[in-house]
Amino acid sequence: MQEAKCEWEMVNVRYGFVITEQCSDTKQVISYFSEDEPPLEEYRDGDHFWNVMETAQSIRFDLQCKECGKEETFDELMGLMMCTGCIEDCEVNRLMIELEAERTWVYVAFGFLPVDEKQQLSKEKIAILEDYFNQRRKSSTSRIKIVSHDMIKNYATCYAEVIRDLDLLSLTPPDKSE
Amino acid sequence: MKLEEVIEKAELKALTNVEAKDVEGVFISDMLSDVMTGAEAGNLWLTVQTHTNIVSAANLVDLAAVVITSGKKLPQATIDLANRYHVVILSTPLKAFELAAKLVGIGLKA
Repeated sequence: MQEAKCEWEMVNVRYGFVITEQCSDTKQVISYFSEDEPPLEEYRDGDHFWNVMETAQSIRFDLQCKECGKEETFDELMGLMMCTGCIEDCEVNRLMIELEAERTWVYVAFGFLPVDEKQQLSKEKIAILEDYFNQRRKSSTSRIKIVSHDMIKNYATCYAEVIRDLDLLSLTPPDKSE
Repeated sequence: MKLEEVIEKAELKALTNVEAKDVEGVFISDMLSDVMTGAEAGNLWLTVQTHTNIVSAANLVDLAAVVITSGKKLPQATIDLANRYHVVILSTPLKAFELAAKLVGIGLKA
């Protein structure tokens, strides 16, 4: 008998910050989620002297099946970003072009830094995340495809649109002449 | 309610191409993380944010449209990205509270 597919809902939503820091000595960059306010000054941790490069308000959540109660955590997820086709020979761009005609939009799920030291999202969890956002679309004619960050050709030059609350405020005042 | 009907009755200005969509409810926030957690498919999203990543957030949760309130100007980059991804962006000189009252008046519910 085929196992019933889970109907997911977002639970345990926690608000906090995604903090990106750089060591002033080794230049290593790390990122992490914190529910506390980000540090204001340089601090030492072992051989590293960490300084905050940037903070973005963010969320952390779990997904739970409404039917069976199965729960999946997404603590490894730093964020989602939408492919904008900035690098022609990037695999994500190729996928986006392939799926664009059927209105399937490609998002990249990425984890915390450093990539090779922090646990990254598994394929199974990415599939669950994709299911969840597609289930939220109700009767929509469009869909979401979520892929792993390791499909990106060059992370450093990627111009994907990250969903995050950073540098968002418009500096353009309304036109009073209208 | 059909999006075109909302646009006409609430006197909204289309900044992008308009798609045929059904509007179900209204969501008000200026935080993308709020949209990810709380907005529902078909919502009309009222915000003062105009950065290109509002397209990313709106597309992810399949909103009916984004309404930029308080007469904020939308950069061309955001318009171009929205058109590519079939995200409808509208504008109004009204503040969010004023527009919300108008939307309730034309029959939209939370």
